[in-house]
Amino acid sequence: MQKQKTILIIEDEKSLRGALVDILRLKNFLTLEAKNGREGVESALSNHPDLILLDLIMPEMDGMATLKNIREDVWGKGVPIIILTNLSGAIEEFMDDVVTYYLIKSDWKLHDIVKKIGDVLDTQESRVVAGVLLQ
Amino acid sequence: MNKRPIISASDDIILNLKILAREKEKVRKKLVATAKKLAVTAAKLVVTAREKEVVRRKLAVTAAKLKKSYETLEKKVFERTKSLEMARAKEEAILLSIGDGLLATDEKGNIIFINKTAEKLLGKESNEVVGKNFSRIIPLEDEKGIFIPLEKHPVNMVLVTGATTAQLSTAYYKRKDTKRFPMAIMATPVILDKKVIGTIKVFRDITSEREIDKAKTEFVSLASHQLRTPLSTVNWYAEMLLAGDVGKLNEKQEKYLDEVYRSNQRMVELVNALLDVASLELGTFVIEPERVDVCALTENVIGEQKPQIEARKLRFSFSCEKGISFMQADPKLLRMVVQNILSNAVKYTPDRGKIKFSITLTDKKNILLKISDTGYGIPKNQQDKIFTKLFRADNVRNKDTDGTGLGLYIVKSIVENSGGKVWFTSPGGTNHDGATFYVSLPLNASKKSIANLVIENERPLLKAINH
Repeated sequence: MQKQKTILIIEDEKSLRGALVDILRLKNFLTLEAKNGREGVESALSNHPDLILLDLIMPEMDGMATLKNIREDVWGKGVPIIILTNLSGAIEEFMDDVVTYYLIKSDWKLHDIVKKIGDVLDTQESRVVAGVLLQ
Repeated sequence: MNKRPIISASDDIILNLKILAREKEKVRKKLVATAKKLAVTAAKLVVTAREKEVVRRKLAVTAAKLKKSYETLEKKVFERTKSLEMARAKEEAILLSIGDGLLATDEKGNIIFINKTAEKLLGKESNEVVGKNFSRIIPLEDEKGIFIPLEKHPVNMVLVTGATTAQLSTAYYKRKDTKRFPMAIMATPVILDKKVIGTIKVFRDITSEREIDKAKTEFVSLASHQLRTPLSTVNWYAEMLLAGDVGKLNEKQEKYLDEVYRSNQRMVELVNALLDVASLELGTFVIEPERVDVCALTENVIGEQKPQIEARKLRFSFSCEKGISFMQADPKLLRMVVQNILSNAVKYTPDRGKIKFSITLTDKKNILLKISDTGYGIPKNQQDKIFTKLFRADNVRNKDTDGTGLGLYIVKSIVENSGGKVWFTSPGGTNHDGATFYVSLPLNASKKSIANLVIENERPLLKAINH
């Protein structure tokens, strides 16, 4: 059986965080939670999750700063990050290289988000496998 | 003395005397005639002398009048000069104190005048710059700090290319003593006898305008975020309940929950549409054209509607002319246009109806999107309001369909600001005679920001914010 993947959810709204945790657990993922950017960076760098769901508007350290912090880390440079926000995407354009996806919460069904996570992780795996083969 | 009569004299002498007498008579006659002529001339001279006297008198009067006129004129010239000087002084005072920076150059670009505001903005005094070429005094850079080349400088454009006006909506100027600030620049030529003899450049510091714009954009973003968060919560929890993730629901429970979910979806759509409208009205939407495969984009959008189309058994056909592959357009905006007209056709056509969608090249420069349906159509007496905000015609409101009333307003804004046109035909009777919508778009959109679209009798949605 495939190893269970760990998803880190960095989201300040408790109810939304709860829904994400519930659905991911239901679909057999392990979950980690953080309610602001600072906690998010700590958790990411100490736990090395397989994928990070990142909200943008948060207290104490917002999404952009969190993203920067994580990407500055050697491990952090390569971890897939999906921005999950309700902010109208004026920043969508410059995010392409740095994040894997930019999703607007109110436009996405939970189940579809989970499917997206699955797709990204599969692509990651094949990239890693390919990387090993190419060595 | 005894007078002896001359009895005999020689014939010769008599003849001579006769001749002499005759001649003398002639002379005497001539003298008389001359005397007569002299008399006439004398008479004429008298008349002439009299006339000359009259003229002399007239001349004297005229001379006196002229003297007076001259004096009056001198006075007038003096007064006129004074008022011209005053006017000039006023104009100079106005120019010097205009709130915008003003700079005038000659035909070579050498500065001949700058006003007080310009001095302040540039951090230089008038005497430091007059006579020098503008290109040396005012180096400009763009947003990223890259030096703006001379060809893009409005003054240069006016001088070299003969443009009637040239503007640069944002350029940054760095004064020695402070950080750089954004300027809006406009230059116009000064033309005398059809030749450009100089330029006038007007510029101003737009830092506060930029800040207001930024605040508007931030407001839209924040509003969107705050409105959408509770909507997302309802969406996701309802979704999990309906999917049976937390237990099975009975039929009634499912039905009720479905109502909650769908209503919430309507709110989400309304918020999205309002945010689009807000962006359009605040002018924060920028058209960023890139190479877009319009046929592929449209097929993708159609794919999104496929579930609806199939569920309602609509007969749908789509054709995209082979010759059109790529056009210059903003993909996200083009997508919005296609989505709106397509979803309208699908929404307002009853089950088993027919929808025909085609994209063709109308001429070398434009494409035409045409979508016709056999749906409810648009009542004739409401057709003029179709493109206005939040308007939904009575016939569709009666039919229990959802809609925000904003879709066509958004389509019209985007299309018209891209240099295109949107229109429709609909018989509008009580039978389902359907409607056909047309969107014409240029193959090459240029980069622009969407200005406010003003439709007659339309009030801005965000009047309060615009204050």
